[in-house]
This record gives sequence, structure tokens and C-alpha cells, in this order.
Amino acid sequence: MTARPLAFVTRRRVLQLGLGAGALALLGGGGLLWLRGAAPAIHDLKCLSPQQFRTLAAMARTHIPAGGPFAIGADEAELARAFDRYLADEPPGHVRDVKRALHLVEFGPILFDRRLTTFSHLPPADQRQHWLAWGQSDLLLRRQVWWGFAKFFGLVFYDRPEVWPHIGYPGPSLERLPA
Amino acid sequence: MTTLTDCSLTAVPSQIDCDICIVGSGFGGATAARILAVAGRDVVVLEEGGDFTGKSLTQRDAAMYDQLYVQRGGATTQDMGISLLAGRVLGGGGVINACDVVPAEDAIWRMWQKRFGLEEFSPEAMAPFARQALADLGARPIREEQINRNNAILRQGAAALGWRGEVMQHNRADHCKGLGTCLVGCPLDAKQNARITLIPKAIGAGARVLCRARAVRIEAGNSEQKRVQCRSLDRRGYHEQQAFEVRAKIVILAANPLGTVPLLLRSGLGNGHVGRSLSLQPQVPILALFEQPVDAFHGIPQSYAVTQFATCDEARGHGGFRIEGIMGTPGIVGSLVPQAGVAGKELMTQLRNIAASLLLLPDESVGRIALGGAGQAVVRYDLTAEWRQRARQAIRTAARAYFAAGAKTVVLPTVPPKMWTCEADLRQVDALSLAPATLPLLSAHQQGGVRMAASEKDGAADPTGRVFGTRDVYVMDSSGFPTTASSHTMAPILAVAHRQAARLAGRSKN
Repeated sequence: MTARPLAFVTRRRVLQLGLGAGALALLGGGGLLWLRGAAPAIHDLKCLSPQQFRTLAAMARTHIPAGGPFAIGADEAELARAFDRYLADEPPGHVRDVKRALHLVEFGPILFDRRLTTFSHLPPADQRQHWLAWGQSDLLLRRQVWWGFAKFFGLVFYDRPEVWPHIGYPGPSLERLPA
Repeated sequence: MTTLTDCSLTAVPSQIDCDICIVGSGFGGATAARILAVAGRDVVVLEEGGDFTGKSLTQRDAAMYDQLYVQRGGATTQDMGISLLAGRVLGGGGVINACDVVPAEDAIWRMWQKRFGLEEFSPEAMAPFARQALADLGARPIREEQINRNNAILRQGAAALGWRGEVMQHNRADHCKGLGTCLVGCPLDAKQNARITLIPKAIGAGARVLCRARAVRIEAGNSEQKRVQCRSLDRRGYHEQQAFEVRAKIVILAANPLGTVPLLLRSGLGNGHVGRSLSLQPQVPILALFEQPVDAFHGIPQSYAVTQFATCDEARGHGGFRIEGIMGTPGIVGSLVPQAGVAGKELMTQLRNIAASLLLLPDESVGRIALGGAGQAVVRYDLTAEWRQRARQAIRTAARAYFAAGAKTVVLPTVPPKMWTCEADLRQVDALSLAPATLPLLSAHQQGGVRMAASEKDGAADPTGRVFGTRDVYVMDSSGFPTTASSHTMAPILAVAHRQAARLAGRSKN
């Protein structure tokens, strides 16, 4: 066993960011939590809470939106569902770290952009800008979070057969071998 | 218990007795299993992964990463700067590698002799083992018609610039059809990996092989009778099920440094060198867009290497860098394209026109494996300033080769990606920090962590592979390598395992 993706999002490291009360609030359940509001009930989640799932789905949708060169996006491919199912078979320590990362992203606009709203409530254009800032950040922790999720989203989304016709992939070659 | 037991499906006895317990079924463990079983030893092999052959290897990136790789393909260094790719499947890394056979050069054996006192590792002494390794692998050069367009582009660019390169030799059988998905296993079983070649021979000689069997800890490692505490795993290999124990006089560890080192540390075995001197050989991915289709997902993924800039001498070992093509299936390319939003999708719509390669940069053994709170391995690795400088040179060089071959854009997967359209753009390379998590670096050739040396003050294992401070606990995988042995570790692992196992086989049973 080695370090798993997002295993670096420890409580100590978040505190080391020097984010003060905001970080404490998001990790400890303080007064800023009301900003994220209640998430609608989502059935059949394996691991995440509705709030965590909402953040994850917003991240996935931002990373791979619907539209553009082809219609299918993260929502249609149910990337957040796939991630929730993946987590259900991960060790408890990794699940905990991923949940911390999701909290951190949800409260990112407050912590890093001084806005009084959370990631899942940002307009899509602002979500895109904010998410890009994670990947480009000078803070290692933010870049780590970005890559941790981005690799999963890219691997799972482009491995979906319904996506292949749009990117020119003919599918597994064994099926195309002459009999 | 039958000779090949899937512990997720079959209840195993609470106690299994044998002469020799081998942890890990890649080329190191399987070589030892075959040699020792043929020599009449009662051998049990433990493999944490499952048994995948034929059409159970589905060519689907996500599902196969999940089942064939350590930590479902998600293992990384602690700072998340480098993805750690290693096999967790019966047959080990050979099931998921690109079949590259690159034997250790004589200079490496001499370096090990001189720097680490491994007197018996002279080129002359290692030659028969290296030959045996090549024979086991069935190594042969790629045929000209097997070079796919992705590799031909690299070759064309290098040739235009007058750079040296070589068509690689592989361990693939004649019935290879160039399916293009070697890194997620071959459904035609054309790869001559340990699962296909050595393990059946070991079983034929009487070895018992257990898959979905996790070795948790070795007890009484200094006693004559060792007890390897094990857990069976569920069908997908995610969760532990039944506890059982393997009792053996000799324990051989061959589970890659990512498995071997934490097992030693959890068992409290070995000296202070265990976990140190880890080499990761970090690799840099680079992409290029062409006007015409490349179809890098089709054909043998790695068949040509630019070797002009690679160096090897007995004073410093491997240096410089190699450039090699790599496979371009959609999941793998998608995980490397660091562009969010519609722009990322637009880039992926050009999948057929994307050429992909890896820059292989040897490193100093600067890494370390420690134990985390849950007994898991924590890999610490800091890129050196020298490595970063060499990586910048390699990036610039690979980009030049692609431009020489007619690329319209060279893509370096930073966030957002660097999109270079002419050589003048390559001035930006000097400004790359290569700080952790700015590029998706990969490691597929982990080595060290239980470094062999003549003296206990210089290493963790003696020249026979015996872990210092233990009685008959050995390493026979790349964990024992004092330095990086080759750009591709398969052939050197086999050669060293041949040597060590033959020596053990020659010992009296008692």
C-alpha cells in the first residue's frame, strides 16, 4: 500500500495553510457551514453525503461540462456517481481524506477568493475560473486536490463507450479483429 | 488446496506448511518459484492480486487499472508529484508493462561491484543469468512492420535531426496482433509474462500458488520457522476476508519495493537501511498533435526509443534520458490531459491525431518508503535540481523531434497545457518549475529500498539478497537493486532472481 490520491489532505496540513477560522469552520463544523445550505436528498449514495456529492458533481461538471464539441458531459456520464461507488471500496482513511478535500473545494471561494458563497453555488463561469485556479495555484495542496480529481474524471469519462464516437476511438481492438 | 487457488473463491486452511514462502508472483517471485520447485523444494507463492488472462483482460482502462494495478492505479508519492504504477495481479508487472526487454549493461554490474562490494556481480559472473533471463522472456527485436505510426513519428523526427535510436526487443509471442493495450493486459496472452510462462512451470513442478492472498506480516523472522500472517481478499481484491498463516523455513520477498518494503517494516525486520535508497525513474509524458491520424491506441505501444541522449558508465550509472512512444487509449490520454472545460473536450476530439511519448529519466536513489499510521507505505521522493534540469532538456529535445516529424503543436500537460507551435516557443521550457503536481509524472520502474551491499553499514541485504538481521528472509525483486539497473527493469529482475534462486536451490534442504 502506498499513499492514495488525496491522502495528503490531512487536518494538520489544512491548518498549516494559515487559513484560520475559515479552515477550522469547514473542518470542525463552525458558523460558516450555513453558507453551503442543505442539499436535496440523493438516493443510493454509497459513501458521500448529499452535500459532499453536490460539491463533487459540481467539480465534475466544471471539469467536463456538457456541450462544446459534443453533448455528453460529466452529468450524463454520471462521473460523480462513479466516484462515490469507487470510494465505497476504499480504505476508511482515504475516504476521510477525500471528504476533507471536498469540503476544502466547497469552501474554496470563501477561503481563497474572499467571496461569501460556496463552490457549488457559484455560477458556472465562476466555477470554471475557480477550479482552474486550483490547478494553477502556488499552493501544493490545491494543485494536489486538482490533479487527484482531474485524473479520475479524465480516466473514467473518456473510457466510456458513449464518448468514443465523439473522440474518434473505435473501441477495444480485440472486438475488431477478423475472426 | 489445489496448485492454483483463488482465495476469494476457495476457503484456505488456517495453516499452510512449506519449505519456502514467496511473496509476489512477478518475474522475481515466479523465477524463484520455478527454480526452487524444480529443485524439489515445497514452495508456496502468495499474490495479492487476482488471476487475469485471456478475455478477462477487457482492454478497458478504468476497469483494468482498478484490477491490475497497485491501489487500483491510484498510488502516488506522498506529495502526489509522481504516480506509482506497479502490478497487483498474478504475474506481476509483466502483465501490465509494454514488454520492453533492456538488459543491464556491464557498466552497471561493475558499478555494483565497486561501489557496493557485490563482488559476485561481475559482468562475467552475471552473463549466464542474463542469458537465461532473455531465454525465459523469449526476447526478440520488434519486426519493422510492427512499428506503429506513433513510434514511427518519433523515429522520423530523430532521424531528421541525426539522433541515434533503436528498435526495441520485446517478450511477445508470434501471435501478438498489436492490439495496442499492453498497459492494461493482453487478452490474447501474447505477452510472455510470468503468468503465462514461469508460473505454470512452477506449478508443474509442484509449487502451490495462491492469489487474492495478502501477506500482512512476517513473524519470527529470525527463527528457523517463520510465520507469514496472511488474509484472503474478496473477489475484487478490495476487502480482507479470512486470516491464515503460512509457515516456512525460508521467506522470499518479491512484491516490488511498494510491497516488499512495507512488509519488512510492518514485521520489524531488517536494519535502518530498509526503505531507503529508493529509485523511481520518474517519467515525463509529452503529446503532439499532427494533421494526419496517428492512432496511438493501435499497434505495439513502445517499439522505438531515442537513445542519443542516454548515458551509462560505471562511475555514475545511468544518466541522460530516453524518449519512447507510449500507448494512447482514451482513458489514459484523458487522465493526462490537464485541461478542464470545453477546451479539454476539444483537445480530446483530436485523440486520433495525438502522438504520445514518455521521457525516461534515470535518477539517484533519493526516495524513501516509510510506514503510515495504518501500516501503509508512504513514499517520499524529492526531485533533485539536477533531475529537473535534465527533464527540461528532455522536454525540449522531444518537442524538437516532434516538430522535425511535422507536428503542428506539441503539448506539455501542465495546467493549463503548454501548447507549443514552433521551436521558438520552447524558450518557455526554461521557466518550468517542475514542482510537485505541476506535471503528471509517472514511475513504472521502482527499484531499491532493500539495497544489497557487502556490508550492513551500506545496505539492507547481503549479496545473496538475505535481509540483514534475519535468518533466511530474502529479497528477489528490484527492491534489492543498489542503483537503477536499466531503463526497463524486467530483464535485470529476472537475471538477479536467477542468480539468487539458483544459489538457494544449491543449498541443502536442512
